[in-house]
Amino acid sequence: MGRYLAIFLTFARACLVRDMTFRANFILESVTSLGWMSMNLAFYMLVFQFTPEIGKGTGWTREPFFAFVATGLIINSIVQAFFMPSAEELTEMVRTGGLDAVLVQPLDAQFLLSMHRVDYSSLANGAVGVGLLAWALARMGHAPPPVAWLLYPLLLLCGVAILYALVIVLAAATIHMGRNQSLYDFWFYMTNFSRYPAEIYAGPWGGPIRALFTFVLPILLVVNVPARVIARPLAGGAWWPVAGVVAAALAALVVSRVVFQRSLAKYRSASS
Amino acid sequence: MHNSGPSSVAAPVIEVAGLAKEYRVYDKPEGLWASVRGLLHRTSRVVEALRGVNLTVGRGEFVALLGPNGAGKTTFLKLLSGIITPSRGTARVLGHVPWERADDFRRRFALVMGQRNQLWWDLPAAESFRLHKEIYRLDAARFERTRDELVDLLGVKKLVLQPVRELSLGERMKLELVAALLHEPEVLFLDEPTIGLDVVAQHTIHEFLRHVQAERRTTVILTTHYMKDVAALCERVVVITHGDIVHDGPLAEIVDRFTTHKIVTLDLDDPSATARIERCGFPCEVRGPRVVLRIDRQRIADVLPEILRSDGVRDVSVEDVPLEEIVAELFRSGAPERRAVVETAR
Repeated sequence: MGRYLAIFLTFARACLVRDMTFRANFILESVTSLGWMSMNLAFYMLVFQFTPEIGKGTGWTREPFFAFVATGLIINSIVQAFFMPSAEELTEMVRTGGLDAVLVQPLDAQFLLSMHRVDYSSLANGAVGVGLLAWALARMGHAPPPVAWLLYPLLLLCGVAILYALVIVLAAATIHMGRNQSLYDFWFYMTNFSRYPAEIYAGPWGGPIRALFTFVLPILLVVNVPARVIARPLAGGAWWPVAGVVAAALAALVVSRVVFQRSLAKYRSASS
Repeated sequence: MHNSGPSSVAAPVIEVAGLAKEYRVYDKPEGLWASVRGLLHRTSRVVEALRGVNLTVGRGEFVALLGPNGAGKTTFLKLLSGIITPSRGTARVLGHVPWERADDFRRRFALVMGQRNQLWWDLPAAESFRLHKEIYRLDAARFERTRDELVDLLGVKKLVLQPVRELSLGERMKLELVAALLHEPEVLFLDEPTIGLDVVAQHTIHEFLRHVQAERRTTVILTTHYMKDVAALCERVVVITHGDIVHDGPLAEIVDRFTTHKIVTLDLDDPSATARIERCGFPCEVRGPRVVLRIDRQRIADVLPEILRSDGVRDVSVEDVPLEEIVAELFRSGAPERRAVVETAR
């Protein structure tokens, strides 16, 4: 474990050195990312000028909703910073045969392929997310209970784990397909559903979507459960979503591991 | 021909039996309509890249793996290094099945591919070396000692702190070799390491590999299209064509076995001597005052004194046929009809 941490830190350090080498690119990426996030926040502010809550009777009033958005920002920035760049690069490595060099190294290939790039500019969104969360919680007028503070980091990690598993499965598909340039787009479309409170998925169309993204592809749990725990403390006894997200994270990690290993066994390399 | 090789060594480092690799490749017909139809129905073929190869390599051997493009050389190296899994057959390298990818196995070999960059592109090679130290769990003192030794041998001390993308191809390849050898592998797979390099860089790499291999008794398998690499480095040559091994033996044996004649070059003082020499009846090429003859090896001892007695001959040299020519002939003599291609449709 210590060795893997040392290797990850070496990767992280090398990426930092590279980002510092191309400073203008780093700054531009950070500004673009922050700009996109600011536009989203402005849009939500605009919505709350016309309605007191997202969905009548859902309880997602302005401050809790911004705590929800902040939770999503934190989770997404972690995935975007630590896993997504490597997964995107994997598609190119499969196409060009660059994966060969990874497979001969005495190290877990999934670790090496999913964590060798760090995109520091994506962490800017996470930092804003932390600030936004603090602001929202301060404005709510009641502090979350201690158990919520204890559970929140764990549930954030579970959310990250579910998204990580999704990234890994999509990356594994690349190995079969030889080329998968839509990996990032597909990930974006899927995770779009996780960016809103689960309560909005109601009615004849919303119900099936909610069931699909809760029980089959549990991305609705990713942000909803930690956000609910921190912003709208769960009623006594209603802990099943917490247990559910932990179980979903573990299951997602196991499934993604199996899929990835099987895909690697099918790797056929590229002509030299 | 399947060959277990001449090297019936006590402790083989590489043992391969009946190793075969097949690929399914999809045909992409020309034209828009054909592409649309291809979305629903594609035809595919099974191509046999390697056809039941047998090979044994002992510790410390330096083996050249020769063959034309597409012969299966790189596929063979990829199987031996565990990058891909075979369709049939068995292989053991250092006692391990390569495609099981055991860490203990992967710590003991290295693969260098001349056409692919394995160093961090935007960073100095020193950063890649540092990463290598962590991945291979190298002791700090051992790492520094080995790195400095390799860097000195290749004369690249000034380059290790320069971003890799700013280096020339030759400089990059030298640093690739340093990275590959930092963990002192027992087996080294080299896939065209001198491709595109100038003669000076080629020579430096030859000297380096010879030194390292002799010092460490590393087992080396080298694929190359440059016969200079083979002549400079390899005692044993394995020729592979169309997925089969068609020759396995010492380099000198190839020359003996596959050449029927020698090249005799005559420098003439008197241009009129050309006509006399042409009348000898051997294949003959006239290049100004120089005549190049191809004379049967069996007859050279009889013919040469006769030619030397001719008036007007100032100088003479007798050489073997160039290795490139011999190997090209060997490639052509492979058995293309054995390359089975199975047509299927899906």
